[in-house]
Amino acid sequence: MEQKVTAASIEKKSLIGQRVKKPDAPDKATGKTRYINDMVLPQMLIGKVLFAGRPHAKIVSIDVSAAERLPGVHAVLTGKDAAGLKFGFVRDNVPLKEKVLCEHDEIAAVAAETEEIALKALDLIKVEYEDLPGVFSPEVGREASAPQLRENFPDNKSLRFEFKHGDLAAAEATSDFIADNVFRPHHVTHCCMGTSCAIADFDSNGKLTIWTQTQYPYNYKMDLAPALGITPGDIRVIQPPVGGAFGSKLDVYPYEPIAALLARKTGRPVKVIYSREDEFRASPTRQAAIIHMRTGCKRDGTITFRTADVLLDNGAYTSWGPTIPVIMMRTTSGHYRVPVVDFKAQAIYTNNPYAGSFRGYGNVQTTFATAQQMDILADQVDMDPLAFHIKNAQKSGEVTPQKSFLRECVLAECLETAARTSDYSRKRKEYAAERGKPGRYKKGIGLASSIHNAGGAKIHKSDGIGTILKVDDYARVTVITGASEIGQGIDAVINLIVSEELGVPLEHVTIVNNDSDIAPWDVGVHASRTTFIAGNGTRRAARKAKAQILKAAEKMLGEPAETLELRGGSVVRDQCGTPLIKLDRLLRQMHFQAEPELVMVTDYYEPNSEPEGADHISNHSAAYSHAVHVAEITVDTLTGEIKVDRITSAQDVGRVINRMGLEAQTEGGIAIGLGYALSENMQLERGLLKNPCFRDYKLITAPEMPELEMHFIESNCAEGPYGAKGVSELPTIVIAPAIANALFNATGVRIFNPPLSPEKVARAIHEKQQQEK
Amino acid sequence: MQDIKTYLTPCSIGEAVKAMAAGDVTVFCGGTDLSPQVESGARQYTNTLMNIRRVEGMGGIAEQGDSIRIGALTTVTEIRRDPLIAKTAPILAEAAEHFASDQIRNAASLGGNICNASPAGDMINPLLVLDADVELTRWQDGAATTRRVAMADFFLAPRKTAKRDDELLTAVFFKRPAANFIGFFRKSGPRPALEISTVSVGIGGQMDNGVFRNVRVAMGSVAPTPLRARNVEAALEGKPLNADTIRAAVAAVSADAKPIDDVRASAWYREHLVKVFTEEVLNHVLGN
Amino acid sequence: MSLETEIKFTLNGRPVTARVPVTMKTLTMLREVLGLTGTKYACGEGECGACTVKVDGITLNSCLMHAVDCDGREVVTIEGLKTPDGMNAMQQAFVDHGAVQCGFCMPGMIMQADYLVGENPSLTREEAQRGLEGNLCRCTGYTKVLDAVESVVEKKCCGRR
Repeated sequence: MEQKVTAASIEKKSLIGQRVKKPDAPDKATGKTRYINDMVLPQMLIGKVLFAGRPHAKIVSIDVSAAERLPGVHAVLTGKDAAGLKFGFVRDNVPLKEKVLCEHDEIAAVAAETEEIALKALDLIKVEYEDLPGVFSPEVGREASAPQLRENFPDNKSLRFEFKHGDLAAAEATSDFIADNVFRPHHVTHCCMGTSCAIADFDSNGKLTIWTQTQYPYNYKMDLAPALGITPGDIRVIQPPVGGAFGSKLDVYPYEPIAALLARKTGRPVKVIYSREDEFRASPTRQAAIIHMRTGCKRDGTITFRTADVLLDNGAYTSWGPTIPVIMMRTTSGHYRVPVVDFKAQAIYTNNPYAGSFRGYGNVQTTFATAQQMDILADQVDMDPLAFHIKNAQKSGEVTPQKSFLRECVLAECLETAARTSDYSRKRKEYAAERGKPGRYKKGIGLASSIHNAGGAKIHKSDGIGTILKVDDYARVTVITGASEIGQGIDAVINLIVSEELGVPLEHVTIVNNDSDIAPWDVGVHASRTTFIAGNGTRRAARKAKAQILKAAEKMLGEPAETLELRGGSVVRDQCGTPLIKLDRLLRQMHFQAEPELVMVTDYYEPNSEPEGADHISNHSAAYSHAVHVAEITVDTLTGEIKVDRITSAQDVGRVINRMGLEAQTEGGIAIGLGYALSENMQLERGLLKNPCFRDYKLITAPEMPELEMHFIESNCAEGPYGAKGVSELPTIVIAPAIANALFNATGVRIFNPPLSPEKVARAIHEKQQQEK
Repeated sequence: MQDIKTYLTPCSIGEAVKAMAAGDVTVFCGGTDLSPQVESGARQYTNTLMNIRRVEGMGGIAEQGDSIRIGALTTVTEIRRDPLIAKTAPILAEAAEHFASDQIRNAASLGGNICNASPAGDMINPLLVLDADVELTRWQDGAATTRRVAMADFFLAPRKTAKRDDELLTAVFFKRPAANFIGFFRKSGPRPALEISTVSVGIGGQMDNGVFRNVRVAMGSVAPTPLRARNVEAALEGKPLNADTIRAAVAAVSADAKPIDDVRASAWYREHLVKVFTEEVLNHVLGN
Repeated sequence: MSLETEIKFTLNGRPVTARVPVTMKTLTMLREVLGLTGTKYACGEGECGACTVKVDGITLNSCLMHAVDCDGREVVTIEGLKTPDGMNAMQQAFVDHGAVQCGFCMPGMIMQADYLVGENPSLTREEAQRGLEGNLCRCTGYTKVLDAVESVVEKKCCGRR
């Protein structure tokens, strides 16, 4: 029956590119949100971990009797309770150790009624160690004389990666200039504001529920199961709101199976939560590396080759850190047009803390090298420095030696935009001329770019996502998505896309994404993939629902579905916007008709990319993008302080979806990159962390954030949702070398091992002045 | 875990020091040093915990004759905002300005910062330049009795002061600086990049027709205790302040500053910074 | 285990009585004894500001303050900022300007921002930066936090600067 609606016509108003509020922001701003750190379950016990506190040792004896007897203690576990429960990428880790391989090895764990009792119980555990000589750098670790840390890994060798393309000797022969340097990207850590926390509980059927901060809920089951000797299907993963992740939760770390082992032993829910000191010592780091890089070019500015010989500090166990060469080589072969490539990386086991994933994953480290070498060569070639960058910038349609297909490539436009709006070329010349002159404060300007995956990264068998969507009788939409919300704002993006496609108000959308019993598969939040993958999945599901709704509308209204749209909560005639029936009314009619119809759709989206492959030659992402940063700094040549005055960024985002969220992720990514560049440093001395606190591990604070000018270049990615590309890692990747290049511009000093701390800068300037005397 | 047997909240100085006479008392107010130190295990609670927030007569900033008196419970924020301090001793306001963070400034007491006796003590540095005295009170012969100790004599060893365990630091006094007194404080900053090293320099004295007299030079984090840099002072005392004397003063820094290598900075860098700051502050004095 | 004592104070406008160990910090009391988990633990040593609360009108780090020191005083936490009509101006501004990402640091950040503007209604952006130096955030880079603070100042000042 046609329902006449005589309201005025509804205009098409797209949400794409608008500023959309994050749906969970009000609860977070009022303190209502219950983070995992805030959760309390009935009968819950508190779990605490005893860490070794020494980097390499045999455990001679361990006596937990006094701890077990302490009133309020329900369980004490040690390495023998976890024997054989091997987990990890190469199965080299166990939840509780019988031998110490790094400072934060978990030696024992206690579950007690209060935190106070649990901590007291830890104090009562008596451990006798026999200290062994340790390995504290990969350079030492690979020597034949170094202590052998593991039986199955001779010469302490862990993972190895290689990629070669073209004739290197020939390329070297044709090069007029070769930049040849060793870079030492250092250990930093994520410093999530919410410390590591997991709550585990077994039900009476032996099925595990684990509340976790994981950002990859499905493969997480697969990785956690062997640590407990159970099957992945028996694990329910619940993701409460978290206080940040940034890649630190892309693997299973021992405190999680420890929570589950304690829960199994006690029969009660157990919450393990780290103090900030525990967090500094025991959560994964960014992968530290020694990168010997060489970039060659001709006098006319053509890059001829790039090589990288990389040594990685594997740390005591293998997590995602030592796998970064998969991305490092993509940068080595794909950052600018590089005809000949020779990349090799070797990870070496040490007794240092071990690395996981961290925003920028291998590209932070590599771009610190490639972008500085570009700057070095720019001063040598017979052309304007900016022209040198642009000459070597790929164009749309080019393919890298590893077959990364740069379908839409606007690196040149990013370079031009950033350089023009910052007046880069003129300032670079001017500041370089000021270098030698007297004066305490020197200005510098530096440019850096990079390339990163922007359409997922098919390093697993699947890079896809499942989406379930329903629209109810009140035209309220529920999206059940595999995409994890870790603070990055995918909830706002999904919300926006649903409202855009179905014409419903933003407030009428509910997102369910945090229970593996309910939500379908997603690989996880990594590789800047979530807007791209979940955006596409959401759009596809929403369009399926729309198709079903408009087909029903066609039947009821007698107007062709192709002429109809969903707008402002109604079905409208697309061309003129005349509303024909309110959406909720239509849905109820669909529901209560003779052959009832509910709107419930499912979608699985797999991006159009190729698996990584052992030879590393494949188009492993459905899109790639670029960013350029220009950093303007003032250097106090006496104290060595670098003040960042201004950052201009030009990034290929494909298409702006949620403008406010995009800005927020860019600003936040830059802040993490600034900390990496200027002040963050894990000071490890013979395997012990000397600065496990915010007082001595310096994060960027509010007064240190410079003015930011952000340009979002829209290359309209054919594969991305509304043309969008992934965005969040590039801001972290590009800023550090931009600052290093600016430092050189200002002072003639180049620093190859971050951070560019005031002391390092002051010393380098001092030494340069001594040399010049 | 600490087993505290008694918790006291005295309302008068007499009550407070009488309790301290019995011994074994841990005193606190804001807790900005006590709390992290107990948390880390660097300090232990004793049998009696005493909260001195409510003690009357331990607050306030006021003139007393030719001196300024600052009550020990005065917070760093109160010092930062006080008009009398701004007028008479801006060097102290400057130190308060750069002290930690707003939340710490709001809770940290002057007495706490002094008794904590860190070589970095930001409030201690300008007080050394101002030739301040601390007032110590104890219960003796049935009454609360006070004595004064010069700040310059107060710090004996790392974290150790001349205050007895049964004494309470109740106030700080310094003579109102002469009209021709100039003093500046310079600390590593902006936070946080340099706060790691927490090197500080405070210099003050009377400018008498270009001649610098009664010079006081204080340095933080370059010695086991907050330091009066006597060699630097000697290089400046009674001499015209000019490029030559400044150069000599900077050279004299090495004789006074004996910094160490630690997780925050190397000895080389600390000494380098102190020299830079010394020159900077002296040029600032000259410019005024 | 530890000596306990009873304290009486005003919490978010209401009188409250609590019995706490004398060594307990205000942060722990709020979260575990009184069930107000809005105030966060992120470092426990006064470096990050996530535990910022207002006591007698001034902000401080509740992880450093002994709970017994709340006796007789007025404590306001993030849960106490909202008005009968909903979020207060600062909370609303944070939401409107996209200043909230993971949100863990936000209760402390909002408390401090609210305090700063209350103390100085013509707060400049630079003064806001300095005033927030004791609040660490890993997600936002502070830019939208400062935008939010500026917007509240503008509304209060009605254009006057």
